[in-house]
Parts: sequence; C-alpha cells; structure tokens
Amino acid sequence: MPLAILGAALAMSSQAHAQKSPTERIDELEKKLEQSLKQIEQLSSEVARLRGPVPASTAPGPVSTANSDVNARVAQQDAKIQELERQVEQISESSTRGLKLGGVPLHGFADIGAGTSRQSNLYQTGPKGFTVGNFSLYLTPEFGDRVKSLVELVFEVDRNGEVGADLERLQMGYAFSDALTLWGGRFHTPYGIWNTAFHHGQQIQTSLSRPRFLEFEDRGGILPAHTVGLWATGTLPVGGSRFNYDVYTGNAPRIGIDASLPAPGGVLDPKASGAAHHASTLGFRAEFAPRGALDGLKVGLHGLRANVSDDSAGLNRTRLLTYGPYASYTNDQWEILSELYKFRNRDLSGATGTHQSNAWYVQAGYNTGRGTPYIRAERTSLDQTDNYFAFQNSGRSYHATSLGLRFDLTASTALKFEAGRTLMRNVKAGGGDDSFTEFRTQFSIRF
Amino acid sequence: MNRIALLTGTSVLLLLAVVRPAIAGDVYVIAHPDTKISAELVRDIYIGEKQFAGDIKLIPLDNAIAQSEFLGKVLKLDQTRYANLWVKKSFRDALNPPSVKNSDKEIIETVRKTPGAIGYVTSAPPSGIPVLQKF
Repeated sequence: MPLAILGAALAMSSQAHAQKSPTERIDELEKKLEQSLKQIEQLSSEVARLRGPVPASTAPGPVSTANSDVNARVAQQDAKIQELERQVEQISESSTRGLKLGGVPLHGFADIGAGTSRQSNLYQTGPKGFTVGNFSLYLTPEFGDRVKSLVELVFEVDRNGEVGADLERLQMGYAFSDALTLWGGRFHTPYGIWNTAFHHGQQIQTSLSRPRFLEFEDRGGILPAHTVGLWATGTLPVGGSRFNYDVYTGNAPRIGIDASLPAPGGVLDPKASGAAHHASTLGFRAEFAPRGALDGLKVGLHGLRANVSDDSAGLNRTRLLTYGPYASYTNDQWEILSELYKFRNRDLSGATGTHQSNAWYVQAGYNTGRGTPYIRAERTSLDQTDNYFAFQNSGRSYHATSLGLRFDLTASTALKFEAGRTLMRNVKAGGGDDSFTEFRTQFSIRF
Repeated sequence: MNRIALLTGTSVLLLLAVVRPAIAGDVYVIAHPDTKISAELVRDIYIGEKQFAGDIKLIPLDNAIAQSEFLGKVLKLDQTRYANLWVKKSFRDALNPPSVKNSDKEIIETVRKTPGAIGYVTSAPPSGIPVLQKF
C-alpha cells in the first residue's frame, strides 16, 4: 500500500513539475524522500522484529517467506529513493546553470513629475504642470555561459503629449573572456560617463535632469546617444587596478529636418534600419579605474567620428569628430562627475572648412544620509557656421546651473527637486537670447 | 567562595564575549575543486567585475543565512548598496546577480557539482571542497 501511494505521488509530481519552480520541486521531492526514509525505517524494524526470535539454523518456513517479502519491498523502496535523489540532483543542476526554469526576470524604471519653466523661444516653450516621464522595461536573458542579451523597451511621452514606444536597446553578445565581450544590435553609445551609466534609469541617476547637451536625440541632445552596429568591450587587470575599454562601429546618424517648425531644424536619427547610402560611426573609450586609496575614481578618454548627412535642401555632409577626457569619483557619500567634449567638425559638402566647438559639465552630489543635495554647471560653445549644429534644433550654445535635492524614500524609490537657470544663445527671432528659470520635481521608481 | 564564583562567572562571560562572535560570524568562501581563483578576486567576482577563470564561467552564489555577514566582511557593503550595485550592473552590462541559496547545505551541494561555482558558508565545509579564504 505505501508503495502504491509513493508510485501515485511520483506520477502526480512528474505532471506537476511542469508548473512548479525548481525550488518548489526540490522541496516537494525532499519531503517525499523523508517519507520514504521513514517507511524504510519502519520496514527495517519489521525485519528486525521478524528475525529476532528465529534461530539462524531454522529451516525455511512461513517466517522466512515473510522475510524475503519484506526484503524485496525494501529493495524496491531503495530503488525509488535512488530515483528521487537523481531527480533532485537534476533539478538542482538545471536551476543553477543555463536557462532559468522560472523564466526571465523583468525589471524596469518609471517616473512622474511636475514643474514650471519660463523657457520661450523659437525652438521650445517650457512645459508647465504635471508630467508623465518614461516607463522603461528591460530584461537580460542569458543563453548558456557566454551568450547574453539585453532588451530595453521604453514608453515615453513626448513634448506634444503623445506616447511613443522605442526599442532603446536590443543587443546580443558573446563573452569570450573578461577581456572581450562582443555585442551587436542597438546599444547606448559608450562615450563619457552619463550615457552608459544612467540612460533611461531615472531612479539610479542622482539628479533629476541630464546635462542638456547629453539628452537623448529626440529631447535636445547633440550627440548620437544610440548606435546600431558592433561593440567590443572588456576589462584588463593592471596591477591591482583595472583598465576598461570600448571600441564600436555602426551606422552614422542622419539629421532629419522638420521644415514645418517655426525654426526649421532637425533631430539626430540613429538609422536603426540602415540607410540607402551607408555612412559609418567609429568610436572608442579607454578608462582607468585605480584601486586602494583611490577606489571609486575613474578617469578616461573618449572619441567618436561619423559622417553625418542632413535632409536639408543643401544635403550637407559633415565629418563629426568629438573627443575629450572625463572623470568620475563615487563613494558612500560623494558622487562627482565631469565630461568634456571637444569638436573638430569638417564640412565635407561645402567649403566652410573645419569648425571647433566644445561642451562640458561638472556635477557634484553629497549623500548626507537623509538626502543628497547636488549642483551642476554645464556649458556649450557651438559654432553656428558648422552645419552639424546649425541644422539641429538643439544646436545653440547655452550655459546653465542646476541645484537639486534627492531623497531616497526606500531603496528603490526617489523623490527629487531641482531648480535651474539657463541662458540659451540665438534662439529668439532676430537672434536674441533666452534666459529662463525652471523648477521641477520628480518621483521615480525601479523594480 | 563567593569571590571564586564571581571570578569564574566573570571569566566565562568574558570568554563568551570574545569567542562567541568569532564563531558566530565566521564565513568560509568555497569554490568548486576545479575552479582555480585567488581569494583576492572574490570581491570582484561578487560585484560582477570578474566573470571568468580561464575558460570557466564563474557562478557566484549568495547564501541567505550568511549574506549580511559576507557583504559586511568581504565586500564592505550593506544589502541596500549591494542590491543597488547589481541593478546598475544589470542595466548597464546585462549581467544577472548571483542566485540565492537558502542554506549551507544547498551551497555546498551546488558548489560540489557545478564547475565555476563559488559560495560561502558559516562552518568549515566537508573535505573535497576547497576553502578560498576564511573571513
């Protein structure tokens, strides 16, 4: 009878396995194993009781028959237990290596906010009131020890209030070693710090806003925040410290002009589906991260070159070349970030020559334990005779200062307040400047 | 007599105060026998900075019953910072955090069977499981 119950239980458990997690299955099988061991003990006691009064020389009789029957049942139980143990081992192994039987965890970020801005110029009038920010979902499925991937889908509300879905990242990679992982697909262009450190993760970004010139392409950025192509990255030990590098190539962006706007200008398009006439981007980042007394410091150099065309009547072509140093320092209290971008852009379709511009920011924040006050200064000086800037909506020079305060309500939620003062050059009719203040608050979560 | 009892009691209490935390807080970092790594790399492995030992993919495992002790002693992090670190690592580098086991027994069994596996336990493991370092 116990064997019948055990058999039925095994049959049922094998059907239920398809719906249960590995941990649940292991727990269930371990319980069954314990039950079986108890039954073995009972049967062993029974054997001992039966053997006790019978002398060793006694001829075969009814008691011996009972003994052999019990021994057979014990052998059957042993076989069942071995099968259970094998199943437990298999499930344990499959839960630690390879694909997770329970599926791929889904993570994400979201934020909402409110604010007021006095910005008013040909390119933009500052938003006032409540806003919905991004809803970013990402997952990182692995396919064995070396093949991995990252998918990030973002739902965002644009300045006109329309919701759009963007496949922000879709990258698939092969890890050869710590020194080399090769990625393909659409990825965050690895320049400087900000673009790969935070991107759409508002909750993990100390400040409420990004430096304006490092915004996403469709939100006022002047650099290609995304690249579609190939990216090699890795880490090499240098003494006790680390050298990190990135080398990438992909489709060059194109400036899509919207002639219907009051001030015709364009937005960088990373050309995710390729282009009729291919042009390429080539870039690198090299970073040194010392250990010991300077643990938390990263210093690096980055560079990017791309042949960028636009959709204007003149079909301008510009060789974008930007490079510069960056540094960051983070520890339990401090977060200090700074990046510099020098531009030497060459006009390939006209005769205006080479144009020099620059952009930089410095941001510092200090975690007091109750909150994190921060300050940021940023400035761009962009040559307006350079077609690369002249034909972008956000290609005007500016300088700005922001002050903010961040509270971590829980480990995965943040409330931020930020005030900023900005001066934008040549953005009003007749070439006037726009000087304005902004106040914003934001509540952001991660899961 | 009372003085002797007082002295003995005080000595026992002092001994317990000194010895007990050391026993309660020991963490043994263990690895699969075929996984050749040095103890200095344990921190890098658990924060996602090192993923391979030669050709073997490293598989760090967290032990729920000793995690606080391990994070404090070995990684110098609390659980919140450890979780934050892995959120950033996952979002930036597409790495998944160590899987969590619920007992020394589970850690030992997994480490024994899985090439590249590294874990930590609260008491000395059975023979055949190398201890990288005792913290």
